[in-house]
Amino acid sequence: MPFTELAAAIPMATTAPTVNPPTGFFGALADAATWFIGLFQAGGDFFLALVTGIIPLLVVLLTAINALIRLIGPERIDKVGEAAGRPGIQWYPVRYLVLPVLSVFFLTNPMAYTMGRFLPEKYKPAFYDSAVSFVHPITGIFPHANAGELFVYLGIAGGITQLGLNTSDLAVRYLLVGLVVILLRGILTELITAAMLTRRDNAAAQAQQAEEATA
Amino acid sequence: MSTTTAAKTPAGGSAFDKMSKVLVTVGKAVGGVVGILYQAGRDTIDTVIRNILPFMAFISVLVGIINKTGLGDHLAHWISPLASSLPGLLVISIFCSIPILSPVLGPGAVIAQVIGVLLGTRIAAGDIAPQYSLPALFAIDPQVGCDFIPVGLALGEAEPHTVEIGVPAVLISRMITGPVSVVIAYFASFGLYTSSN
Repeated sequence: MPFTELAAAIPMATTAPTVNPPTGFFGALADAATWFIGLFQAGGDFFLALVTGIIPLLVVLLTAINALIRLIGPERIDKVGEAAGRPGIQWYPVRYLVLPVLSVFFLTNPMAYTMGRFLPEKYKPAFYDSAVSFVHPITGIFPHANAGELFVYLGIAGGITQLGLNTSDLAVRYLLVGLVVILLRGILTELITAAMLTRRDNAAAQAQQAEEATA
Repeated sequence: MSTTTAAKTPAGGSAFDKMSKVLVTVGKAVGGVVGILYQAGRDTIDTVIRNILPFMAFISVLVGIINKTGLGDHLAHWISPLASSLPGLLVISIFCSIPILSPVLGPGAVIAQVIGVLLGTRIAAGDIAPQYSLPALFAIDPQVGCDFIPVGLALGEAEPHTVEIGVPAVLISRMITGPVSVVIAYFASFGLYTSSN
């Protein structure tokens, strides 16, 4: 009897694990499904936080600034553009500070770069460098200028918000440091462009001389 | 009586004309302002639907996956030490400004935006001190517009030979100004959020 009991227990013992894997399998499947949906649930929660946290303020702010731009009229910056093309060191801040800031604020990315048309050819790369470098620092305070690329600022500012700190200080400093950086970039790129232009002109002149010598 | 009424009628008429002129001007001005505000609102909603919401959706999917799979913790292991010290931030900015990489990293600022969100979550988790947010903003961004130089110059009506010189000039300039901007931002970040820690 103990032997038969034992014998009966063996299939019981063997069936118990063979029964468990199916539940374990389905359990694992269920766990996997929960985990899989959880990935998107976490994403969804994040999306909801973004939409309710950022969009309402953004919509009102963007509307107000868009209206302001329409009232002032972007065509008025043309005058600044004409002034900025003049040579001389006193026009550096106009060319790489005032003009890029006004262009990016009023014309926004990517139309801001059309302002380069008022400048002589040799200043155009530097102006582009200066203007394009301002399209992110400006978004901290004036998100209308480059709404499609807000997350360069918002991503990092979001972390500050989650810590319960105010992002205004960060936004202002981002803008101010941005101003310093675009002026610097404008001047440096202008110098590099000038150096490359003279080098190419020299090379062209040398090639011409060599051609004349062989002829 | 008759003279006074005769005198009054034209006077009343001109007053009415003036009144209606004022009304028309006010009406036009208000109509103009309302029209501008309405158009501004239309532009705003357009921007939100076309540019902002799609990017929020994209970022949400990424953040959900990164946070839930624990990938975020792995990324934190190599991002946090880089983003929480000045030399590390300089390494990021130099990497982003390498002339061959910068045009590749540029399009739509997608890479910068994704790294921005990652750094934001690390700042929220306390791995990166909040005052490093300012230099970090400049460290992840030296490639800004590097993909767009020929188009940007064409928008400024530049001649082809200016574009030829302009592309390398801007890319080379970024190698220098990228790290320099991080250093400026680092010094500008003194006193940012330190009092609240």
